[in-house]
Amino acid sequence: MLQAIKRICGDPLGLVGLFLVALMVLSAVLASVIAPYDPIALNIIDRLQGPSFKHLLGTDQLGRDLFSRVLFGGQVALKIALISISIALCIGVVLGMIAGFGPRWLDNIIMLLFDTIRSFPTVMFALATVALVGPSLSTVVVIIVITSIPTYGRVVRTQTLSIKSNEYIQAELAMGASTFRILSMHLLPNVVGPLFILASMDIPTVIALEAGLSFLGMGVKPPTPSWGSILNDGYNLIRNTPWPIIAGSIPLVLVTLGFTFLGESLRDLIDPKLRKSL
Amino acid sequence: MLIYCIKRIGLGILIVMLAVTLLFFMIHLVPGDPARILLGPRATPELIASMSQQLGLDKPLPIQILMFFANLFRGDMGMDVITNRPVADIVFGQLPYTLSLILTAIIGAALIGIPLGCYSAINRNSLADRVTGILSVACITAPAFVVALYSLLIFAVYLKWFPAVGAGEKGDFGDQVAHLVLPAFAIGLSWVGYLSRLVRASMLEVMGENHIRTARAYGLPERLVVFRYALKLAVLPTVTVIGVGMGFLLSAAVFTEIVFARPGLGKLIFDSISTRNYPVVMGSVLVSTILFVISTTISDLINAWLDPRIRASL
Amino acid sequence: MKKTDQKNATLELSRRRFIQASGALGVAAATGGMSQVVFADGKKILKVRAYGDLRSLDPAFSQGVIDEEIQSSIYSKLIQYKPGREWGYQLDAAESIEQATPTTIKFKLKEGIMFTGGHGEMTAEDVKYSFERIIAEATESTNKPDWGTLKEVTVDSKYEGTIVFDEAYPPAWNIALPYIVGNIVSKSAWEKAGGKVDTTTPSVSGPYMHKAWEPKQRTVLARNPDWHGGSAEFDEIHILPIDDESTAQIAFEAGDLDYTRVPLGSVSNLKASPPENSTLEEYPSLFYVWVGMNVENEQLSNENLRKAIQHAIDVPSIMQASYFGAAQPSTGIIAPGLVGHREKSLVAPEMNIAKAKEYLAAAGMEGGVTVTLDVLNKAANVTTAQVIQATCAQVGINVEVNLHESGAFWSLGDSSAGERYKDIQLILNRFSMAPDPSYATAWFVTEQKGIWNWERYSDAEFDKLEAAAKAESDNTKRAAMYEKMQDLMEESGAYRFITHEATPVIYNNGVKPAFRPDGLPLFRYFASA
Repeated sequence: MLQAIKRICGDPLGLVGLFLVALMVLSAVLASVIAPYDPIALNIIDRLQGPSFKHLLGTDQLGRDLFSRVLFGGQVALKIALISISIALCIGVVLGMIAGFGPRWLDNIIMLLFDTIRSFPTVMFALATVALVGPSLSTVVVIIVITSIPTYGRVVRTQTLSIKSNEYIQAELAMGASTFRILSMHLLPNVVGPLFILASMDIPTVIALEAGLSFLGMGVKPPTPSWGSILNDGYNLIRNTPWPIIAGSIPLVLVTLGFTFLGESLRDLIDPKLRKSL
Repeated sequence: MLIYCIKRIGLGILIVMLAVTLLFFMIHLVPGDPARILLGPRATPELIASMSQQLGLDKPLPIQILMFFANLFRGDMGMDVITNRPVADIVFGQLPYTLSLILTAIIGAALIGIPLGCYSAINRNSLADRVTGILSVACITAPAFVVALYSLLIFAVYLKWFPAVGAGEKGDFGDQVAHLVLPAFAIGLSWVGYLSRLVRASMLEVMGENHIRTARAYGLPERLVVFRYALKLAVLPTVTVIGVGMGFLLSAAVFTEIVFARPGLGKLIFDSISTRNYPVVMGSVLVSTILFVISTTISDLINAWLDPRIRASL
Repeated sequence: MKKTDQKNATLELSRRRFIQASGALGVAAATGGMSQVVFADGKKILKVRAYGDLRSLDPAFSQGVIDEEIQSSIYSKLIQYKPGREWGYQLDAAESIEQATPTTIKFKLKEGIMFTGGHGEMTAEDVKYSFERIIAEATESTNKPDWGTLKEVTVDSKYEGTIVFDEAYPPAWNIALPYIVGNIVSKSAWEKAGGKVDTTTPSVSGPYMHKAWEPKQRTVLARNPDWHGGSAEFDEIHILPIDDESTAQIAFEAGDLDYTRVPLGSVSNLKASPPENSTLEEYPSLFYVWVGMNVENEQLSNENLRKAIQHAIDVPSIMQASYFGAAQPSTGIIAPGLVGHREKSLVAPEMNIAKAKEYLAAAGMEGGVTVTLDVLNKAANVTTAQVIQATCAQVGINVEVNLHESGAFWSLGDSSAGERYKDIQLILNRFSMAPDPSYATAWFVTEQKGIWNWERYSDAEFDKLEAAAKAESDNTKRAAMYEKMQDLMEESGAYRFITHEATPVIYNNGVKPAFRPDGLPLFRYFASA
C-alpha cells in the first residue's frame, strides 16, 4: 500500500490525480465546515451576481452562493458515485462469476441480459424509469446501477473463464476444492485490481450522467445542490450570466481529471505486463 | 467464421426482441394515459375511450406485445394516431438525421482521437503527452448540452461560421453538412478524449508485448513498428468501443437534438415517451436497438476476424 | 410602469429608425446576418419559430395554438382577431356579421372567395358544413366545447346564413368565430377526403397554402395565388418547431429566424443591448399559474392550513427569481384585458408571516407541518417551487418538492388513472387560455373533479355562476360574475394565484409583425417593413 502511494507519487500525472481526488473527497466531507453559506438559503436580492470576495463563484437565480453549492454538490456526487458503483460492482461480480463458472446455459442467459441492457440508449431507459418512479437521488442511483452492471459483469466473467481454464485450478477442482474456495481464493484477488481501476475511471462518467439527467429534469430533487442541477440552472441562465455553468463545469472537469489520472496510474502499477516492459 | 456469424446474428435478433418487450412492459407501467395526453384537455371520456380502443390499449399487455410482433412480422410497424401516418414513415424519416450525426461525430472523433493517442503513446511522458492527456481527459465528461450551447453561442451567434438550428435544406448537401458540424462537434468532443486515451493505453500495452519487442530487436524502423504492428493491434479495443459507443451516442443525440432543434431519432424517442405515444415509442425503440445491435455485431465480427481467439468463445 | 414602458418603446423606435437610416446610407453587407431582408433564391421568405410541431391541418382535430398558427394562415374565417394591443376582431370572409338575437348570429359572405384545388367558391353551405361537423358526435372533435351551445347553421341564401345557438353563447365572438373552430373548410374537398384530413389539406382559401411538412424540422407555407384578399406578402413562410426558448433566441441571433418569442430571463439583457437591427416587444400573456391545494386530502382538508399556505407564499420573490422581473403577480385566473379580470386579489401577493402563523395556529399546527408540492420539471417551475419551499419554511411549513416529467405530471389528478389523485397535496400548475373568461373557469367546476379540477374544489355557488356567466351577454354583469367566482376560489383557500407570465417577442426590422394582444403571432398579417 505504502509502496503503491510512493509509486504514484513518482508519476506526475498520478500525483495530480491523487491530489485532485483527495481535494474532492476532503472538500465534500468538510463541506459544512468550509462552505461560507448555507447552500439552500435564498437571498433573492443578491441573485445572479458574478464572482466577488463575498461569493467566490457568484450566485444563482435564487441568490444562493454557488461556491457553497459546488462544495455540497461534491457530497451528492460522491454519494451517488460511491453508492451506485459499489452496488453495481457487487451485483456485477456475482453475476460475472456465475456466468463464468456456472453451466453454459446460465452463462448464455446472463450474457443475453447484459447485452439487452446495453442495447437500450441510456436516456431512454432513464426516461422510462423516471416516469415510473419520479426523479430523485435514488432513481439516479438505480439507473446507474442497472446500466453499469453489464460492464463489470463482463470483466469478471472473462477473468473467471480464463482462470477456470488454468491448469492448477483444474487440478484443484479435481482434488475436490469447492467452487466457493476457488472463486474467493483465486478469482477475487485477481479481479479486484482491474475492477477497482475500472470503477475509479467510471466515477466521472457517473457524475456526468447525473448532470445529463438533471438537464432533462430527471435528476435529484430540489433544492439538493448537485453539480448537474447547477449546470442545468446555468443552461437556463446563460444569457444572463455565464457563472453558474462555469461553477458547475469546474468541479466536473477537475474530478474527471483526478479519477482518470489516478486510475491510469494505478493501472500502470497493478498491470504487471505493462510495468515489466517499461 | 460462418457459424460464428450466424450465431452472432441470431443472438442480435433475440436481444432486440427482449429489449423491446422489456421496454414495452416498462412504459405501460408508467403513469399517464396516452389517449388523454394525445387528445388534449378538452377531450370527453367517450373520446378517450374510443382513442384507447384505436390504440389497442383496451387489450391485455401480453396480447398487445404479441400483436406488435405479429404486425412487425408482416412489415407493419403500426400507425401514429395523432398524425395518421405509418410509424415506419415517421421513424425512417428521422433516422437519417441521427445516423448522419452519429457517424460524423464518431468518424471525426476517430480521425482526431486515434492519431492523438498514438502520438501520446510514442512520446510517452513528454510535455506534449501530458498536455494532450489533460485536455483529452477534460473533454471526456464535458456534458453534451454544455458543449452544444457554447458552440452555438461562439460559432453560430458571434462568429456566424455555421447555422444555428435545424438540419438544412433538403437536397442541398453543402447546407446539410454545414448544419451537421456543430451538433457533431458537441457529441463527438468527449469521444476525441476517450479514444485518444484508449489508443494511448492499448498502444503502450501492445508495444510491451513480445513480438513488438522482437520487431524492434530486429532493428525494424520505429515508424514501421508503430504503424505496421502496434497500431493495428491497438485499434482492436477501439473498434469494440466504437460499436458500443453507438448506444451512448444515441443518448447524447437526444441532448444535441434538443439544443440544436434538429430532427432525429433521439428527440423522437424523447418526445414520444413524454407524450406516451406508444406506437411511435415502440417503433423508434425497435429501430434504435436494431441500430445498436448491428453496430455491436459488426464490431464483434471485425474483432473475430482480426483475432481468431474470440471466435471460439461464443 | 406602463408609462415608462411606452417611453422606452418610443425611444427604441427612434433609435431603430436611426439605425435603419444609417444602414441605408452604408453598405448592406455591414449589417451582417441579422437584417438581411428575407430573400433567398430570389424568394421572399419569412422564417418564424413555433414551440411545437404540426399535428393536424383539420380544424376539428387542431391541438391548439401551434396548429392554429398554421391553420389561420391557410383557411379563412368569418372574422379574424385584430392585431394590436386590445382584443377585437375584423372581417375576413364575412362581408357583414351581427348578433341578430341573443341566440342567433347572422352573416353574409363576401362574393368570389375561391377554394384552391378546383373546389369552387365559398358559400354559406361551406360555413354550415365547417361549423356543424365540429359539433357532430360522429366527428369526435376534441374542439367541440369551443362551440358551446351551437345548435346549427341555417343557409339563408348562397352567401347568407344564420348561426343558431340553443342558449345565448357570447364567447362565440371571442373563442369560436375568430379561433380554431371558426376556420372554414371546403365542403366538397372534405367530403371527397372522407370527412377528415390530417397533415395535408386538399383545399384552402387563405393568403397562404400548405406546401410541405418536414416533421420536426419545418412547415412550409407558400403564397396562395387565388386568395381573395389580393397577394400575400411573402412567397413562403417557414415555421420551425423549436421547443427550447433559449435555442430559439440563439437561432434568431444567428439569423436563422425573423421572429421568435424569447425567454423572460433574456428580456433585461436584450433591452440593454438589443441585437443589431431588431426590435423587442413585451406583450402580456393569458396563461395562468397558480398553486392549487387538494381540499379532499386528509391534511389539506383543514381550511386554516390552506390559508396559512396562501399567506406563506411570496409572489413578488417568485416574480424576481423565476420570471426575472419580467412578469407581474396575478389577481386570479383571468388576465388583464379580458372581461372578469379582478383589479386586486383578496390575499395580497406579498407573504404575510404573521397571518400565516396565525392560520397555522388556528389549524392546530404551530409545531410545524410537512406538505408535498408536485411540480412539472421545467426550469421556471422548479425555481418557483424552491422559492415556495423557502418562504413556507419561515412559518414552519416544510414543503417537499416532487418533480414529474410531463406525461406523469399531466395525469396526476386524473381519477381514472389510479389512486394518485388522492395523494396530491399542493400542485404548481399552469394552464393555457383563450381570450374568453369562460375558458378559464370551466376547469374548476364540480363536474371537472378528477379531470382537470385537481384541487377537487366544489362549490354550488361557483358552479351556478359558471353556467350563468357563459350565457350572459351584458359585459358588466358578466364581469361581476367572473370576479365573484375568483373571489370564491380564493376564499376557499385552495388557490394561491401566481402570475399570467408575459410574452416577450423579438423580430428583425425587415419584418412588420402582427400580434394578438397576448403576443401570439398572426402570420397572415405579417408584412415586410
